[in-house]
Order: sequence, then structure tokens, then C-alpha cells
Amino acid sequence: MSKKLTYDAIVVGGGPAGIAAAITMVKGGLKVIVIERGRFAGAKNFFGGVMYTHAFRDVLPDFWDRKPPFERPVTEQGYWMMSPDSVVRIMHKSQKYQKQPADSYVALRAKVDPWFAQQAVDIGVSLITKTVVNGFIKDEKGRVIGVTTDRPEGDIYAPVVIIAEGVNNLLTQKLGLIQHDLHPHYVALSVKEHISLPTKELEARFNISGSNEGVAIDIFGDATVGLPGLAYLYSDKGGVSIGVGLLLSEFANHNIKPYEVLARFKEHPVIKPLLLGGESLEYGAHLIPESGYDHMPALYTDGVMIAGDAAGMVDALHREGTNLAMTAGKFAGETAIEATNKQDFSAAFLKAYRKKLEDTFVLKDLKQYRYMTDFLDTTPQLMDTYMNLLNDAALRYFTAHGMPKRDMENEIFGMVRQRRSLIGVAQDMMKLLRGMRG
Amino acid sequence: MHIVVAIKQVPDTTNVRINPETGTLIREGVPAIINPYDVHAIELAVQLKEKYGGKVTVVTMGPPKAAEALSECVEQGADRCVLITDRKFAAADTLATSYVVWRAIDVIQQEEPVDLFIFGMQAIDGDTAQVGPGVATRLGIPLISYAVKVESIDPASHTALIHRKTEQGTEVLQTSLPALLTVLKEIAPERRAPLPYFIHSLEYKPEVWTSEAPYSFDVTQIGIKGSPTIVGKAFTPPPKEAGDVVKIADKGLSGTVSYALERIGHAGVVDFLAAEGKGGK
Amino acid sequence: MSENVKRIWTFIEQEDGIAHPVSWELLGAVQKLSAELEGSVVEAVLLGHNVASIAEEAYHYGAKRVYLIDDPVLEHYRNHPYGTGISKLVEKYKPEIFLVGATILGRDLAGTIATQVKTGLTADCTELAIDPDKKILAATRPTFGGNLMATILCQKQRPQMATVRPRVLPMPEPLPVAEGEIVREELGLKESDVAVKLVGFIPSKEQLLIEYADVIVAGGRGVGGPDGYKVLQALADELGGVVGASRPAIDAGWLPREHQVGQTGKTVRPKLYIAAGISGAVQHRVGMNGSDFILAINTDPNASIFQIADLAIVGDLFQVIPELTAQVKSIKAKRGIKEVNGGSDV
Ligand SMILES: Cc1cc2nc3c(=O)[nH]c(=O)nc-3n(C[C@H](O)[C@H](O)[C@H](O)COP(=O)(O)OP(=O)(O)OC[C@H]3O[C@@H](n4cnc5c(N)ncnc54)[C@H](O)[C@@H]3O)c2cc1C
Ligand SMILES: Cc1cc2nc3c(=O)[nH]c(=O)nc-3n(C[C@H](O)[C@H](O)[C@H](O)COP(=O)(O)OP(=O)(O)OC[C@H]3O[C@@H](n4cnc5c(N)ncnc54)[C@H](O)[C@@H]3O)c2cc1C
Ligand SMILES: Nc1ncnc2c1ncn2[C@@H]1O[C@H](COP(=O)(O)O)[C@@H](O)[C@H]1O
Repeated sequence: MSKKLTYDAIVVGGGPAGIAAAITMVKGGLKVIVIERGRFAGAKNFFGGVMYTHAFRDVLPDFWDRKPPFERPVTEQGYWMMSPDSVVRIMHKSQKYQKQPADSYVALRAKVDPWFAQQAVDIGVSLITKTVVNGFIKDEKGRVIGVTTDRPEGDIYAPVVIIAEGVNNLLTQKLGLIQHDLHPHYVALSVKEHISLPTKELEARFNISGSNEGVAIDIFGDATVGLPGLAYLYSDKGGVSIGVGLLLSEFANHNIKPYEVLARFKEHPVIKPLLLGGESLEYGAHLIPESGYDHMPALYTDGVMIAGDAAGMVDALHREGTNLAMTAGKFAGETAIEATNKQDFSAAFLKAYRKKLEDTFVLKDLKQYRYMTDFLDTTPQLMDTYMNLLNDAALRYFTAHGMPKRDMENEIFGMVRQRRSLIGVAQDMMKLLRGMRG
Repeated sequence: MHIVVAIKQVPDTTNVRINPETGTLIREGVPAIINPYDVHAIELAVQLKEKYGGKVTVVTMGPPKAAEALSECVEQGADRCVLITDRKFAAADTLATSYVVWRAIDVIQQEEPVDLFIFGMQAIDGDTAQVGPGVATRLGIPLISYAVKVESIDPASHTALIHRKTEQGTEVLQTSLPALLTVLKEIAPERRAPLPYFIHSLEYKPEVWTSEAPYSFDVTQIGIKGSPTIVGKAFTPPPKEAGDVVKIADKGLSGTVSYALERIGHAGVVDFLAAEGKGGK
Repeated sequence: MSENVKRIWTFIEQEDGIAHPVSWELLGAVQKLSAELEGSVVEAVLLGHNVASIAEEAYHYGAKRVYLIDDPVLEHYRNHPYGTGISKLVEKYKPEIFLVGATILGRDLAGTIATQVKTGLTADCTELAIDPDKKILAATRPTFGGNLMATILCQKQRPQMATVRPRVLPMPEPLPVAEGEIVREELGLKESDVAVKLVGFIPSKEQLLIEYADVIVAGGRGVGGPDGYKVLQALADELGGVVGASRPAIDAGWLPREHQVGQTGKTVRPKLYIAAGISGAVQHRVGMNGSDFILAINTDPNASIFQIADLAIVGDLFQVIPELTAQVKSIKAKRGIKEVNGGSDV
């Protein structure tokens, strides 16, 4: 059995980026193999988060008929801003979210990834699991013509390789497309727990009526110990996904442990009753690249394209990642088809991939929020001072003290000035604007 | 050499949880795996095939879902897989299971004579270790259970030297072939299967046999009818009453330990610590 | 004896002329079963070569009759001749209940007999009783990794067979005077009929019979590594005991597998079980909760091992164990004791 294994294209990684690329290429007539290191696609992924239907539809127009195993549609979403003992909520609930398929769904990747991969297999993709790609085969000119794996007789050949290896981008580094490991400054660590609750309790606590409704909440402030980061709470079918994410550098600088932050968050007086009596089903941690537009690796080289987290394609502010990954995968796949038609797999030709992405939300959004991580990092008062301020002001505002309302307004204004100078506030707002506008 | 391996798909008992209120198993979300002993059975079979040439056939009786497990066997290097699945076989105990597995194996050996049968020592869902001995008895061939090593096989004389674990050590047994081994994990360490086996598994579809063809059954010996044992009741083990707790923080290290020895002395479980009338120290 | 006498059989496992203690544990339990089963008699089955003297021992544990097949072919245990010989006895005498020790030998043998005579067999039981209504054997065993107990019944086929783990049943006191009868039967096989030959034997390097130790000092993941076990060994030596371990310690290679206590290891029933750095998962507990006195040492005040401990010490084992060793030493010195022997040399 030592015949050379040859395909038209190799995809490394069975996540959203890789599967989207593989489906696109098989539909374009290529013979495609996907190599995934986990026991099954999604095995290494425990995320419970939000997935976006536009991205599925782009890749697989009939995705809805293929019955994706989502948890609940997102029919209410928004932000909670927490101080140590209280919360200000800005939530949006609308009848307009009530459609099928909805725009976005709370999903567990451990279920959706295997489903997505199965769709790829059903239309002809070869999926190899439990196998790690650990290097490249190059021709005499140094162009990539295949990959090596950790199995005996494990070399596979193809003129084009799409790397969708996720945030631990060892292969991307190996090719020299990015010079270094992700800086702790540009990568967040998210710890998450999946807690089961009786459906009745869940729906009562989150004010959800029936399985066709669900909530997605992003939480700032005390939830992340007042540090720049994000906590979240999503309702799935029979429970919640709860987690906190902080830049790696924050954990190191403040000498805190990720699970401590989560444990503390779960004890918050607002959160605790929501979880009461729940059973912890799983617990895990995963990295999120937050390198942003300015620290992305090169997206292509001879015989190779990079898509998804491996290329840092995450919009942390809007917790979007899977859709960027899928859209990028799709365009990488399309470029591979064109390259196959022209039989030109050179970097010069694959450059078309980046060009295409520049015209999509993927690179446009990343460009717009390019200063966001830096802004949050250099404006620690945002998650601390301002969140507490907001809650204190709310308390003041909602409490009747038998004094004229004008005095109360002045008092609130005074609170602001006391905690941050007016110039400081103005600077922060400017920075925020710059972070938002790119 | 033709080797037949019997495997079972089992819930990963490391993930099994019990509903404390009802005392029943929570099966949801518990992944199904190949019985860990059987993984080594396959591995041994493939290694013997690579050494002596031949073919590995895998059989399993189980629900349609067990086909997944068979695909994994092909990934590991099996050549042919048979899934025996039928409602009529359901709820079988070990006697009925060994009957059905034996009927299937009999068809396979009619088609192509078998030199060696390999079973796992036991399945982790029931821990019975009875199906292997049962099938060997029905086949009327030598059984070597708790096998830990295949020293050698002599295809010419149809004999093999097998190491078998006992409580006192290891027996070296010579047996005629065909024989049936039930194996412990050390028989063949798991290894990374070559990639071409994997590629082969993508195209391979296991054969599915129902109770119809290609064999015949005595209906009184299959499924629930053919199973003499029934589960009378199932319950979670009752908790024992807790004893008392001492903290070093309260009594100090030396005080805690001398108290512990005093208690042990009073319990009379270690003779020389027993209270000498005045009750230890 | 009348036609419908209910014979309760116990297989007497022997090797090199020495009976395995589980046989006596079973006979002890059978006495109680017999008391609840009207018209029943307690009998035993013995196979081997030149082993008649063991029958005498069996009388002292309550067997009234011993069926003996004594034949050179049976010199060493082999599945085929033992299985064939006993199946013939079963078919001839039709016992109501047949119990076998769940040792390696017993489990090899029982599966063969049950298939041969086409009856039900319950493996690896931890409890035996007579169902008060149906008057049949109710055999209870752990399933699903010890998470659940199941009571198994065999309603129609006979005999009702079960294998029972060594040490889950108490060892009975032998009767001072007892008598019984031997019924000799033929094997009916020649050496040339047996396809499997024993051509060699490699004794285990370490002869550890942890099941029969009186004192076990067991350590788990909390022991931290092979070096930690030296601390436990020192205490075990002082107490004349042996060292045991939880599965993670065995899987990590800190100690050989013979030391593992629990569901997938050995069931032990020592007089004193010291559990240090063991959290007390059910799979561990099922292997040791029959111990007479359990002393648990754990830094975590909520460790579930404390639920079954007679005495729980909240503290660091690396402080507590050496202190125990030191104090035991000084007690022994004071009382003038040099050697203790509670260990495993059965
Ligand atoms: C806690 C958390 C919450 C999130 N929430 C959201 C959210 O709500 N919405 C959203 O859209 N995004 C969210 N994201 C981001 C999103 O998960 C990622 O952007 C997305 O998974 C990227 O997809 P990908 O295909 O690039 O990488 P991945 O999904 O990471 O897939 C990469 C795959 O490649 C495999 N692999 C890696 N190396 C190798 C190798 N050498 N050989 C073989 N296989 C290999 C891996 O096993 C993996 O399966 C979240 C992320 C985290 C961590
Ligand atoms: C099918 C199946 C079969 C199994 N069979 C067995 C079996 O036969 N035997 C078995 O043991 N397990 C078995 N297990 C595994 C079992 O579930 C547990 O995982 C295992 O028993 C835990 O071992 P442990 O207590 O040593 O480790 P842990 O659970 O990690 O506990 C370590 C303990 O040490 C304490 N500790 C740490 N440091 C110190 C210190 N310095 N001083 C004092 N205390 C300290 C900690 O507080 C903790 O309680 C089985 C599991 C399955 C699923
Ligand atoms: N349903 C089954 N189909 C095929 N083989 C089985 C089945 N059940 C058990 N076996 C085999 O018998 C061995 C012992 O199983 P058990 O007697 O259930 O502990 C397993 O390791 C398998 O090799």
C-alpha cells in the first residue's frame, strides 16, 4: 500500500474555515481531503456561542434543509454592565428576530462542527480524523506540494494546501508567514462552562417562551474583575454556556487564574440565581486571536492559503469569528478552483484570495476595529471606573431621596468628575471613537 | 492467515453519570467507543497479519450505530467487517450473545477457514468476560483467556505459543489452531495506524447482516428469549455512615496522629496497637 | 437422597494442592443461602491430581459432600479438561446453584461451563441472597464502572451460576469437627485429547496478594509520584502491611498493576485501610469499602473518601504519614515488638 496519496487540494483543520473551503472546492469539482487532528471535527472545540446563518447559506445554500443542530435562535441579545453588586442591562428583543432560519443561533460547536463536516463528507470530501499535519513537502523551488502527517506512510500530495488550523498556528509559523508565536497581548483566553438546567427553569429564568427563543448576553465590568475582557451567557437547549475571556497578558499582569475569574463571576449576586441547581457538564478553555488587522500573517504563499483563526480573523468586539472563518474559507476555496483551472498555484496567482477578502466584511471589519484591542488595553478605566460609575449612577437615579431631581443630576455629574477628570473622559471617548471607526 | 476479531461498541464508562434521584444511567452525551480491550485485539490481529500475511475480519453484534466502531477497525487495519444487527437480537445476555456471534462466525469460517479468533478479555459496560469463553465452547476449539503475548505462530504445523496471565505468574501454552484468545491490553500496544488504512476506511462500508441471511438461528436461543438471566433490580450503592473528622489545624500534627492510633487501637484491627488495658497512650 | 434435593455447589479452586481461600468464603456464604432454601444441601466440586486431602478441608467449611475428579490430566488447570469434567458432573447431578470464585481461573472456567450446559451466569458478584418470594438466587453485582448495582436472577435454567469476587464475602471460621463424603467421578479424557499444553511458567517477580493483606497503606494521585510511595512503604513496613494504589497512580506507572485497588483492580478487605491522597471515587470505594477500619488522609475537607472513613484526617499526607510511622515505631519500641507480620504472604 505505498502508492503516493494525491489530491487536488488538502485542507488542514476541520473547523468552520476548513470545512467551508472543502465544500466549496468539492462543489467546484476538485478532489479534496481534510485532515483533522481531533477524534472528530469539533472534538477539540467546546465553544457554546453564536453562529450566523449568512455564512452557512453562502457556502451551502440548502444548509437549512440539512437540519443544522443549533441550540436556540437568538431572539434577544445585548449587554450587561456589572459592578460588584449590580448590573445595568441593555437588551434588545424583537419580533423581527422571529424567523426561520433566524439570523443567528446559539450553538454548541461539539455538535455543529461534526454536522458541518458530515455535510462535506456527504457531498464527497474525504475527511481524515485523529491525524495531525506536522509539516510540508516542498518541491526543488521551495513551493509547497503536500503535507506530512504523524502517521506511518502519512505523506499526502496536492498542488494547493489551505491551512485552517485555528488559533494555534504552528503550520503558519512553520511556513514563515508569521514570524512569532502570538503575543500574549494579542490573544485572549476564554474559559467556559456548560451548565445544564431543567428546560422549564431555564426558560423561566431567562424569560424565554419555548424552544424558538434564546438569549445571548455579553457582559462587561466586574464580570472580568474590571479588566478589559468579556464575559458571556448564552442559553442553549437544556442549559447555559457561561464564560469569561481576557487577554493572556491580563492574566499574567494581574496574577489571576482563568478559572478563578469564572468561579468569581458565577458567584456574582446577579448570576448565581440564574445558575442555581444547575449541573456542570463540561469545562474547558480555548484561545481567541485578537491580533487584528495589523498583525495578521501573510494570507498566501506558493501553494498555500491561510483562513480563519489561523490568520487572526476574529472580530472580538462583536464576538464574530466563525462567520469570518467560513467566508474566508469559501474564498480560499474559490481561489483554489481558479488556480486549478489555470494550473497556476504561485503566490502571485493566489494573491487573488486576499483581494477578494478585501471586498468583504471580513477584512473591512477587521480594518475598522484595528485599534480596538490596543484601545481596551490602554484604557483600563473603561471596564472598571465607568462600569461602577454607571451602576452607581443608576442606583442614584432610581432611588427617591426627596431631593430635587436637578440636585441628583448634579450629584451624578460630580461622581463622574470625582473618578475621572473631564479631560480624561474626553480622551477616552475620542479613543473609543477611533477604536470603533478604524 | 485468517483472523477473526469480535468487538463490542460500549458507552465510555468514564463518562457515565447516574441521576441521583432516579438512580438510572444518564446515557445522553456519553460517547460510544470500541471496548478498550477490543482495540488491542484488533491491533494484535493487524500486527499478525502484517507479520504472517492474510486477512482480518471483524464481527460485532449491536445496534446500527455500531457500524461506526467497525469503520474505526478498518482505520486500524481490518479488511472485512460484519455488523450483526436485528431487533430480534436485542436484550441478549452473554449466553444469547455468544450464540449469535458464533452463528455469524460459523458462516464466515464456512466461506474462508479461520486460524485464530481474538476477543477482548471483557467488555467495560458489563465486565462479564463470558462471551469469549462462550464462543470458544460453541466452536469446540481451545480457549486461551487472559492472553498477554503471542510468542510465535507456526502456520505449517498449525500451532501457536501463547503467554497467559494467571494470579501467580505467566503460563506459556502451546495450542493447536484454530484457537480463541481473549486478550489483555498488553497483548499489543496501540500504535498509530498507517494513513493508507485510514484512506481505505473512507471507502469501505461494513456488511450488515440481519436475522435473515446468510445464516439460520434457533429462535429460542436469541435475544431476550435465549437469555436465561434477567435484571431483577438496579440501584445505586447505599452510602455508608461517615466517621469522625479531625483536623491538624485543631489538634496539631502529633495530637492528631496519636488520636488516630488510639482509635485504631480501640478498633482492635492491629494487634500491637490494641489498647493495653489503659487504652493506648 | 431424595430426587428433588436442591444441591448448592461450590467450586473448590486449587493450584498445586492448595485451595484458594475464595472457595471457603463461598462455602461460608452458601451456609446462609442454604438455610433459606428449603431442601437444599451444601456440596463442593474438586478437580485436580492427588488433591483428595482438600476435600477434608472442605468439610470443615460446611461441605457435606465433595465430588472429586482426580486425574493426571488435571495436574495443572486447563480450560478444556476442567470445563468438560465439571460440565459432565453438572449434567449428571443437576445442581440448583453453582458458585465459582471470580478469580482468573474461575472466570475462565465458569463461562465455559455455563455455555456447555446452557444456563445463565452472573459475573463478578459482590452479594448473594435467596429471593424470598421466588426462592431463587439473587446475585448482585456492580455495573457501569461501579456506578450502579444490579441484581440478576436466572429464573428457568439450572444451575443458577455466579462468580463471586474474592474478599467481598467474609472468611468463615472453620468448624472444629466436621465430616462429609467424597463422590469420585471419572474425567473420561486422555492427555492426547487436550490440544493445549503447558510448556512453561514464568512466576511473577513480585508475589503480591494484596487481597489478603491485613493492613494496606494506599495512596492515590495525591502521592505525587513514585518517590511518594516510599513514604507509604515505610509506614506499611512498620505495620506489617502492603502498599496499595488508586488507578491514576497505576496508570502513571508509579506502582505495578498488582497494587491497584478498586473496580478494575483488586477487592480488598483488610483490617486496616489507610487511604492517603485518594479522593474516593466510587470505582475505588467498591474495592475497599469492606475494610474493617478506614483511615483517610486528605487535604480536601470535602473529599468523598471521608464519607466512608471511620476516621478522617484533614491534612497533608506528607506530614501525617511520616508522623504515623514515627509514632508506630515508638509504640513498638515501648512494647518491645520487633517484627510484625500482617502482610500478604499467603
Ligand atoms: C470561547 C469562545 C467563544 C467564541 N464565541 C464565538 C461566537 O459566539 N461567535 C463566533 O462566530 N465566533 C466565536 N468564537 C470564535 C470562533 O470559535 C473561531 O473564530 C472559529 O472557530 C474559527 O474557525 P477556524 O476554522 O479558523 O478554526 P477552528 O475552529 O479552531 O478549527 C481548526 C481545526 O483545525 C484542527 N487542527 C489544528 N492544527 C491541526 C493540524 N496540524 N493538523 C490537523 N488538524 C489541525 C483543530 O483540531 C481544529 O478542529 C469564539 C471562540 C471562543 C474560543
Ligand atoms: C470503568 C472505570 C473503572 C475504574 N476503576 C478504578 C479502580 O479500579 N481503582 C481506582 O482507584 N480507580 C478506578 N477508576 C478511576 C476513578 O474513577 C478515579 O478517577 C480514581 O479513583 C481517582 O484516583 P485518586 O483518588 O488517586 O485521584 P484524585 O481523584 O485526583 O484524588 C487525589 C486526592 O488527593 C488529595 N491530595 C492531593 N495532595 C495531597 C496531599 N499532599 N495530602 C493529602 N491529600 C492530598 C486531593 O485532595 C484529592 O482528593 C475507574 C474509573 C472508571 C471509569
Ligand atoms: N455484542 C458483541 N458482539 C461481538 N463481540 C462481542 C459482543 N459482546 C462481547 N463481545 C466480545 O466478547 C468480549 C468479552 O465481552 P463480555 O463477555 O461482554 O465482557 C468482548 O471484548 C468482545 O470481544
